[in-house]
Amino acid sequence: MKHFFIIFSLVLLAIGALTFYLIPVLWQPEPVYVFRLGVGAGIFSILFVLAVLIQIVLAARDWGAEQSTRKVVRERDESHRQFLRRLDHELKNPLTGLQATLTNLREAESDEEIQQGVENATQAANRLGHILGDLRKLSELEYQMLEHRPVDIEQLVSEMVSAACCLPAHRGRNVKLLVSKVPVLPSVLGDRDMLGLAFYNLIDNALKFTTFDDAIEVRVREDGRSLFIEVADSGAGIPPQEQGRIFEDLYRGENAQEIEGSGLGLPLVRRIVILHGGEISLRSDPAQGRGTIFSIRLPAERKG
Amino acid sequence: MKDRPTLLLADDDATIITALTPFLERAGFHVLTATNGKDALEKTQSHRPDMIVLDVLMPRMDGREVLRRLRHAGLQTPTILLTQVGDALERALALEEGADDYLNKPFESHELLARIRAVLRRSQSGQASLSTTWRLAAHDLTIDRRARRATLNGQVLDLSPKAFAVLEYLITHPDEVISRERLLQLVWGWEYPAGTRTVDTRMFELRKALGDDPSDPTFIETQAGEGYCFIAPVRMLP
Repeated sequence: MKHFFIIFSLVLLAIGALTFYLIPVLWQPEPVYVFRLGVGAGIFSILFVLAVLIQIVLAARDWGAEQSTRKVVRERDESHRQFLRRLDHELKNPLTGLQATLTNLREAESDEEIQQGVENATQAANRLGHILGDLRKLSELEYQMLEHRPVDIEQLVSEMVSAACCLPAHRGRNVKLLVSKVPVLPSVLGDRDMLGLAFYNLIDNALKFTTFDDAIEVRVREDGRSLFIEVADSGAGIPPQEQGRIFEDLYRGENAQEIEGSGLGLPLVRRIVILHGGEISLRSDPAQGRGTIFSIRLPAERKG
Repeated sequence: MKDRPTLLLADDDATIITALTPFLERAGFHVLTATNGKDALEKTQSHRPDMIVLDVLMPRMDGREVLRRLRHAGLQTPTILLTQVGDALERALALEEGADDYLNKPFESHELLARIRAVLRRSQSGQASLSTTWRLAAHDLTIDRRARRATLNGQVLDLSPKAFAVLEYLITHPDEVISRERLLQLVWGWEYPAGTRTVDTRMFELRKALGDDPSDPTFIETQAGEGYCFIAPVRMLP
C-alpha cells in the first residue's frame, strides 16, 4: 500500500509536468508561462489530494478490518476461556465427591459405610463419564459424517418418548405425544441417531425441569415444506435473561444448578438441528406461568 | 495353552496398570506390564505372551506402531487395542493394523475380561484371522470392509454405515453371541439414550436388506435376552 502511494505520487507529478509542457502544444495561441505553471500545478495538486484521500480511506478500511478480526479473535478466546472455566467447574464437582468418598472408604468401619461409599463413588464416576460422553458427542458432530437417509420422524419421536419415560427417575410421568393428522408425515433426510438424540434431550430436559404434576406434550406437525417437533411443558419456565444463553456450551441456568446434567444437552440439540438445515427456538414466559415450548423445524424430504 | 495364560498389559497410565493388574491376576492371568510402546514391543518379543492389551496413545511408540511392527515381524499374538476415539475411521485403522478387537475407554474391567476371553477363545479355534481379513463371504453374501460394501447374489446392498458396521462386527465374530450393549458400544462408541432399541432398529434394516427371516434365519440369529449371533459359515476371500 505504501509503495502504491509513492508510485501514484510520482505518476501524478509526471502528469502535472506533462500538462505544463503540453499546454503550449494543445492551447493556441500559447498562454503565458505563469498560466501554464498554474494549470500544471493545479491539476497535480487536485490529483494529489485525491490520492491522499484514497490512501486514507484504504488505511481506515484496513484498520477497521483488523479491529474486527481482533474482536472476533478476542470473543473466540473469551468463549474458549469461559468453556474451560465451566468445564473445570463441572468436572471438579464429581471429582470432589469422589475424593471425599475415598476418604470415607479409607476410614470406614462398617460394611454399611463401605457399601455407601462404593455407591457414591460409582455415581460420581458415572457422572464424570456422562460429561465426557457428551463432550465426545459434541466433538464427533464436528468431524463425523452424518448419515443422510430418510428418517421416519413420528416413529423416532415416539421411540424417544418411551426411552425417556423408561428412566427410573421419570417413572410414572406422563408424556403426551400428539401427531397431526396427515395421511403420511413426510420424512426428513438425515442421521437417525443424531436426530433421536436431539429429541431425547429435549424430552428429558422437560421431564427434569418440571415437577411430577406438570404436563408434557410432544407435538409433531408439518406444513408441506417443514416438519415441526415441539416439546411443551407446563413447568416454571425459563427466565428471559437466561433464554439467550441456555444454548451455550456448559451453561447452567439458576434453576438448573441442583439438577443433574452436563450442560451440553441443549448445545448438542442446537448443533444437530443446524447440521440438518433446521432451526430451534424457544418460547417461555415464567411471569405468566405458561411453561416452556421448544420448537424444532426440520426441512421435509422432497419427493421426486 | 498353559494353565495361566500370560497377558501383556501396555498402558502409560499408572493408575490403569495398578488397578487392572490385580484384577486380571485374580481372573487367572499371569500379567506382564509395559508403560510405553517400545517396552511393549520388546516384552512381546522376549516373553511371547498369549495375548496383548495395548493402549493406542503411549509415549515413545504408539500402540498402532507397536502392532504394525509385531505383525511385520510375523508375530500374530492376539491383541486388543484400547482406543480413545470411537469413530469408524479409527476402528477401520485398528483393523488394518491387525487388532483382533478394540475397546473404547472408559470401560468396565469386566467388559475387558470378557473381550480377552473371547479373543483367546477365537485364537485357539484358529478363527482370529477373520477380524484381520478385508473380504469375507457367507453363502451368497460378500462383504468388502475396505470399500464398506456388502453384496448379496452380486447385488450391492443399500446399507447405512451403522448397519454395515453391525454386519461387519457380527460376521468377523461368527458363532459368538454379541450383546446389544456390546454392539451399541462398538458401533456408536458412546452411550445412546434409546439404548439397545437403536441396535434393534439397525438390525431390522440389516435383516430386511439380507432378506433374513428372524424366525428362520440364514445369517443372523436372535438369542432371546442375550444378543445376536452370526450363524452362517464364514469364508475368507482373497
